[in-house]
Amino acid sequence: MDFSELKNNAEKELERIADSKELKEFSDKYLGKKGEIRKFFSFVKDLALEEKKVLGREINEFASLLEEKVLEMQKEMKKAEKEKTEEKVDISAPGKIVETGHLHPITQVMREVEYIFERLGFSVVEGPEVEDEWHNFDSLNIPEGHPARDALSLGKTFYLKNGKLLRSQTSSAQVRYMKKMKPPIKIVIPGRVYRYETTDASHEINFYQIEGFYVDENVTVANLKAVLQKFLELFFKRKVEIRLRPSYFPFVEPGFEVDMRCEVCGGEGCSACKRTGWVEILGAGMVHPNVIKNGGLDPKKYKGFAFGMGIDRPTMMKYKINDIRLFHSGNLKFLKQF
Amino acid sequence: MTVSYNWLQSYFKSPLPRPENLAEILTMHSFEVESVEKKGNDYVLNIDVLPDRAGDCLSHLGIARELSALLDKKMTVPSFKLKENKEKIKDYLSVKVESKDCLRYTARVMTNVKVKPSPKWLKERLNACGQNSINNVVDATNYIMLETGQPLHAFDYEKTGKEIIVRKAKKGEKLLTLSDKEYVLDENVLLIADSKKALALAGIKGGKSAEITEKTETIVLESANFNHKLISQTARRLNLRTDASIRFENNIDPNLTEEAIDRVAALISDLSGAEIVSGKIDAYKEKLKPWAIKLKTSDVGRLIGVDISKTEITKILGKLGFGVKIAGEILTVKVPTFRQDVTIPEGVIEEVGRVYGYNKVPLNLPCFSEPALRNDDIFWQNRTKDYMKELGFVESYNYSFIGDEEEAVFGLKGMEISNPVSNYYKYLRTTAIPQMAKTVKENSKFFKELKVFELGKVFFPEEKMVLSGAVLGGSFASVKGSLNELFDKLGVEKISFSSIANDKIWHSKKTAEIKIKGKTVGYAGHLSSDLIDILGMEDAVFFEIDFDQLQKQCSENKEYKQISYHPPALRDISGIVPEEIKVEEAAEAIRNSSNSLLKSVEVFDVYKGKGIPSDKKSISFHLTYQSDEKTLDAKTIDGMVSDLLNKLKQTINWEERK
Repeated sequence: MDFSELKNNAEKELERIADSKELKEFSDKYLGKKGEIRKFFSFVKDLALEEKKVLGREINEFASLLEEKVLEMQKEMKKAEKEKTEEKVDISAPGKIVETGHLHPITQVMREVEYIFERLGFSVVEGPEVEDEWHNFDSLNIPEGHPARDALSLGKTFYLKNGKLLRSQTSSAQVRYMKKMKPPIKIVIPGRVYRYETTDASHEINFYQIEGFYVDENVTVANLKAVLQKFLELFFKRKVEIRLRPSYFPFVEPGFEVDMRCEVCGGEGCSACKRTGWVEILGAGMVHPNVIKNGGLDPKKYKGFAFGMGIDRPTMMKYKINDIRLFHSGNLKFLKQF
Repeated sequence: MTVSYNWLQSYFKSPLPRPENLAEILTMHSFEVESVEKKGNDYVLNIDVLPDRAGDCLSHLGIARELSALLDKKMTVPSFKLKENKEKIKDYLSVKVESKDCLRYTARVMTNVKVKPSPKWLKERLNACGQNSINNVVDATNYIMLETGQPLHAFDYEKTGKEIIVRKAKKGEKLLTLSDKEYVLDENVLLIADSKKALALAGIKGGKSAEITEKTETIVLESANFNHKLISQTARRLNLRTDASIRFENNIDPNLTEEAIDRVAALISDLSGAEIVSGKIDAYKEKLKPWAIKLKTSDVGRLIGVDISKTEITKILGKLGFGVKIAGEILTVKVPTFRQDVTIPEGVIEEVGRVYGYNKVPLNLPCFSEPALRNDDIFWQNRTKDYMKELGFVESYNYSFIGDEEEAVFGLKGMEISNPVSNYYKYLRTTAIPQMAKTVKENSKFFKELKVFELGKVFFPEEKMVLSGAVLGGSFASVKGSLNELFDKLGVEKISFSSIANDKIWHSKKTAEIKIKGKTVGYAGHLSSDLIDILGMEDAVFFEIDFDQLQKQCSENKEYKQISYHPPALRDISGIVPEEIKVEEAAEAIRNSSNSLLKSVEVFDVYKGKGIPSDKKSISFHLTYQSDEKTLDAKTIDGMVSDLLNKLKQTINWEERK
């Protein structure tokens, strides 16, 4: 038999192969133990040495080439056949629910606020929730008989049978920290506060505040404005415009109400800002000399600013929550949204 | 305070800015104007005058004085003519002030009064300010109060007798007010009385006994000043806050009574043709005089953060009615008696600052001083919350209060609130478990499984932080597993769970006391069957841990443990032990009886019943052996296991099951 004929036939047959069954038959036919190539070897065996050498090499080369091709085709066919039988994933089917934990929305907002103030150099400290009258009122320049004391203590503060009370604002910790620390004192005091209220969608008996407090030798209104503006920009993640207008809190002098340009209408006036173009965001002021004195410092030498911001309302604004009572409802349908 | 725009305009010759602009100016420099409304041909400004300025600005003249300073416009207070007759007041009336809480009492008498409806202009003014017109006499007193800020009162002279006495009430003394409400009084209430009866609650409300009626012909006018603290407390205690009491509460100027009583007498005379009896009674022992405040001119800039010139400071204070003297650096300010709110240098600086305008103050970030300190309490609270969230728990917030029902059902004894909003919020909570139970119960209507936690304060009675939680649809073991994982992440070591004795809240057979280094820090387990019955809820697993204790054991230290690349060898052992041996004890015995090649002990079966004697139980463990240096051969492992089994036989009576 002629080797080139064998070679020709094999190559032609190989081209015609359509599936793995035919490939197997082809492989058996040519490369098998009793295949054509083996047979040809037995024929070569009888040739002269020189001829045997040349032809033998040629056959071997052809055989490995063929083998390689068959293997390659096998791989491809297998892949094609697997693809044919593989099931298609229904990507439109709903995802499987994964149960994860959730942090309370107030926790999340409070953390963000604390984090921003830490970056601005304010240490985060905490004060007690059960307070004495002195820290909650007197230390803050709200003595007995002061109209602000009457307004707060007679109607708005919870008293305990043992004479103590539940702090009505986080400011009650101001004097504690002035006594503990040395100026510059640069702190924020976050926490739960208590007010006697008839609860409704916007009033609660437990709510959250953060108090800012900075005492040093030369603290100014200009410092207060800059810190608050910076904080609000970092918190709302945009440029904000603020304004200070005169207000009154007994523990500061001068006292301010701080407004922010209304985000909803951009200052044009809408229902969210009661048509004023401004939204009241926090109360602030320069620490009253009596408060500095109560903290054991010399009010002639030390000045300071203080501000207090509610956390519930910005949280409600952020997530468009319409009822403050949801915060303490324990309702998982609410809590699992955050 | 409701203010009429037209009324304000009447004090100025040149036109005021438009009402909205006027509102803006007042808001930015004085007080917030909450609304501006058109009312007929007038505008009404609703101004939120805060307590510090209520002494002078709950009046049209006060607001006009502010505007005069803010707009740099001259104001003119309309003059009046006071025509007195020839009769003398001492023939009509005497006043006896028996209490120091009455700082000043000024009175006049008018005769031939004709009580009738007020003219249109007066009705309109009062109407704009939200006051009903009553009659010309009462309207005149209200009008002058709205103008000057001085509360005034008129009594019917026929009903008062010839002597007015200002005294404290007797305990149990009664007074019927003009609004027909009777009050039972005590010694803390200041009264206006005659020799026989109470006539009015001083500074708060007039009484029915000397009411002005259509028949009234002779009147006594009162213009007085009282201790502001007393009026504030009495009005709040009686829950009777009036236009008068709100003004007195905030320290109005005692020097105002005279001017006000003359104005009102002139007005009543105009309105009704009445005669003014000559002279007035004026009981005023300690006259309030202007006081001086000294400061450095540089103090203004030091506090506000912007340089304001001496000229500007002088101009601003002068326009507000303060006397100003500058000698070198020293600024001496004489405060008018209508500004009792200004008593310290900062008060003067505030006046300068607000008129100058806070919007003109530049922004100036404080210099960097010290980096903020890490707060370890908050750090570990945050870590714990994050880990609980990772473990699949939902954070909830509960009130600090619980009510009568929880106290009774759970047998608690929390600190009691003197003035609770309701019986549901009557005590400070000593534990969050009742609220956790409620959360489970309420949510079980919608969720078959849930995991909640709270990290909050309880009051025991000392204030402390607890980590509380509940799991519905999970076993004790799953909660124990979660807590162990939490402890591990917090770096807390030497945790143990041990049995508890009988307890009102916890189920004694299904609850563990959690200990760190032998000290109890909390509980985890099921509620007692009684409680579950009373609460009518599904059984869930709860836990509560003293977080203050736990936090002391938290640590950020972690050390890498060598990873072995040699294959682990697994062996299972299964044995019978006396029933009272706990699974954890058996595992501990295995660990104690093995060398460091034993890497883990894991229970996979506990069995009691058929084939096991009744006082025994069967436990099966997976044991994992592994060496860091070499692959362990079967012979070594078998040797270790048989050695272990021998030791277990002695320590916990272990009988290996074949």
